Amino acid sequence: MIAPVYVLTGFLSAGKTSFLNGLLDREDWRNIRILVVQFENGETELSGPGDSHQNLLFPLRELEQRPEDVARRIRRQLREADYDEVWIEWNGIAPFSALHALLLHPLLHNRCRIRRVVHIADGAELEKLLGRTGKALPEQIVSSDFVLLRNEDAGGAAKIRRLLRAVNPGVRAYGINSYDDYHRQLLRKTWPPLPIFIAAAAALSAVYLIAAGRLTLLGVPVNRIVNIFLGIILQAAPFLLVGVLISGIVEIFVSRAAIESRFPKTNLGGMATAVMAGFCLPVCDCASIPVFYGLVRKGVPLPAAVTFMTAAPVINPVVMLSTYYAFNGNMRIVILRVFLGLAAALAIGATFILFPPKKNILGGGALSRPLCGCGCEDMDGGAADLSGKISLLLRHAQSEFFHMGKYLALGSFISAVLQTVAPKTLAASGSGGGLLLSLFIMMAMGFLLSLCSSSDAVIARSFVGQFPPGALMGFMVFGPMMDIKNALLLSSVFSGRFITRLALTAFAACFILVFLYANAGGIY
Amino acid sequence: MRAGNLNQQVFLETLSSAAFGLLLLYLLRSGDYLNYVTPRLQPYLYFTAAVTLIWAAAGATRLRRPQRRPRLGHCAVLAVPILLFLLPHAPIASTDISWSYAGGGALLSAPSPVSPVSSTAGLALDAVSGEETYTPADLPAAPPGADEADHSIVVDNDNFYPWLNELYSNMDKYAGWQIYLTGFVFKDPEVFLENEFMTARLGMTCCAADLVPYGLICQFSGAPALAPDSWVTVEGTIQAGEYDGWPEPQIIVTGITAAQEAPGYIYPFG
Repeated sequence: MIAPVYVLTGFLSAGKTSFLNGLLDREDWRNIRILVVQFENGETELSGPGDSHQNLLFPLRELEQRPEDVARRIRRQLREADYDEVWIEWNGIAPFSALHALLLHPLLHNRCRIRRVVHIADGAELEKLLGRTGKALPEQIVSSDFVLLRNEDAGGAAKIRRLLRAVNPGVRAYGINSYDDYHRQLLRKTWPPLPIFIAAAAALSAVYLIAAGRLTLLGVPVNRIVNIFLGIILQAAPFLLVGVLISGIVEIFVSRAAIESRFPKTNLGGMATAVMAGFCLPVCDCASIPVFYGLVRKGVPLPAAVTFMTAAPVINPVVMLSTYYAFNGNMRIVILRVFLGLAAALAIGATFILFPPKKNILGGGALSRPLCGCGCEDMDGGAADLSGKISLLLRHAQSEFFHMGKYLALGSFISAVLQTVAPKTLAASGSGGGLLLSLFIMMAMGFLLSLCSSSDAVIARSFVGQFPPGALMGFMVFGPMMDIKNALLLSSVFSGRFITRLALTAFAACFILVFLYANAGGIY
Repeated sequence: MRAGNLNQQVFLETLSSAAFGLLLLYLLRSGDYLNYVTPRLQPYLYFTAAVTLIWAAAGATRLRRPQRRPRLGHCAVLAVPILLFLLPHAPIASTDISWSYAGGGALLSAPSPVSPVSSTAGLALDAVSGEETYTPADLPAAPPGADEADHSIVVDNDNFYPWLNELYSNMDKYAGWQIYLTGFVFKDPEVFLENEFMTARLGMTCCAADLVPYGLICQFSGAPALAPDSWVTVEGTIQAGEYDGWPEPQIIVTGITAAQEAPGYIYPFG
């Protein structure tokens, strides 16, 4: 028989032993034959073994030095009695992967197998600990099936849960005394993820095959939506890839110290550098967001980083060229677009000098690496040689590509659907209105359609005659800076509060600048 | 190591990366990628295919690394597009466009083709300084299909856009010439008069999201009887016409025959 293994993780003094004592003391647990294996000597003693409970204790050092011995002793114990369950209290400062490796040891893997991993956390301490205790704790949280919280209200229950989900997306957390909840979680049957994924893919295909024809008959342009979606994905994926690769290069080859010593100290110098960088990188918005994230992570001041992110997609050479073509070689439109985009980006950057965000702008609270839930916890291996760094770069880029790609794909899909609906509706409602209304509508359209900044000029051009040139300019200046796709991409790593502020600021800056300029007769 | 130790996350990441890379290579080799994006993107797509295949190769070395709680959801980023590419769908046709995007004439209020060489059409202020406009030296010679002696042009499907450009930039030269042009009948009551239609092709600037009709306005008394979106070869005389105040070449139609649908799109900035 293969004994199911339940693992308890959690930082020192999170209360693992007391939890275990409480559990094993319950009436309904007394008759279950349980082997308890501990890997640390906590402050709390495991209460005296009952008739059906046996206890093994190993110092962590022994596991590190003689894993074979540890495995052999557990195996011997398992053979002595026919245990119903094995409970392991894992060491609070050791990586979970060390325990995982032990349980996969040839001596053990056909004797016992992990059933559940439960993380126990102290709500009052969690945020502080996550910020400073290295990788073992996040790795333990990532590996856990659910979390039990002690003092959950001390750190703010909602905030703690957000923090946990930033590390382990979708993880559930329960109060440590909610026995019914966690008992159900302990026994719940789980399905292996791969067959579920394959089944979901098959179901999606089946639904498409059955529903596509009918929806088309009902007037839903399924074929067009699929083509537009795939078009946007094919168009955006290479640029997202370029973005995550640049971001990875910044992450791995540029040290924080270098940024701190080389990057201009003044805000003005920083923003000027950002504008130059934006001009030189021929990237669209899909690429500028991962780079923006990489810069923020490396300690580039926020005003400069924001200026880069908002300026790059508007002022780069590819966008200028496409605008030039779209408007029949009209240089005035090209120059105005660059000029207004630049002015708006600088204004947005300046608001972050005047009102620096008080809270952490990254979604994971104190956590500076919210991506650590992606199975790349072992990536900070500190590779020193070039080939090691390049392989690290590739994995970093892959992990970010997948992570941000989720949001990109969702944004592309929404955009594909809206593109078949919104232009008609919005254009009809705004056509012939005054500048204020038409500018507002075209900017809203820029946000909803989420076009790539290298092609939006053509769409803008197609509205000539229906909207005044000022409104088209608003569309071309604001759209690349902020749209549904960008907002979703940003939400992969930044907090909702920051994204909202950025979007509203960008809207206001673009609106005011374009309106003033157009109203003064500058755009025609 | 046993099969049970397969790291499902690494496995699916590797599988979807490999499949995406191979799919991109297939789309590139077959030319089918042109249904979604323009030829300009070709090198970027090769680059993407290369990186995803490298990811796959690197992932294959980590297949046995143990991982508690494999996560697979993010693989949908590649899996969903792969599935949709494989599931049946047809390239966007003019019939899709005319009733959706441009229902209110939204995209065609200025139906002249977006032309890099027409210094006069468009919103124009470019005449302010001469250096901003293209000079004829930038232009290639006239596209094939012209018979100088006969003053006639037979535009084959591959030269649709080059000829639009050529006609726009040398409108005076070609006025009075005979032309044969194949495209679909594009009608929009908000833009065209009753005896007008456009012999058009769908043009892509960036991706399938921005397909718009490009073509020449045709004057034809029988226009009301033409079925919208049907494919025709028009035969007619080029004249220097005017639309909405801007000069542009138009066709006075003398004959119309049904035509085979021309495959693919045109890529004005391809």
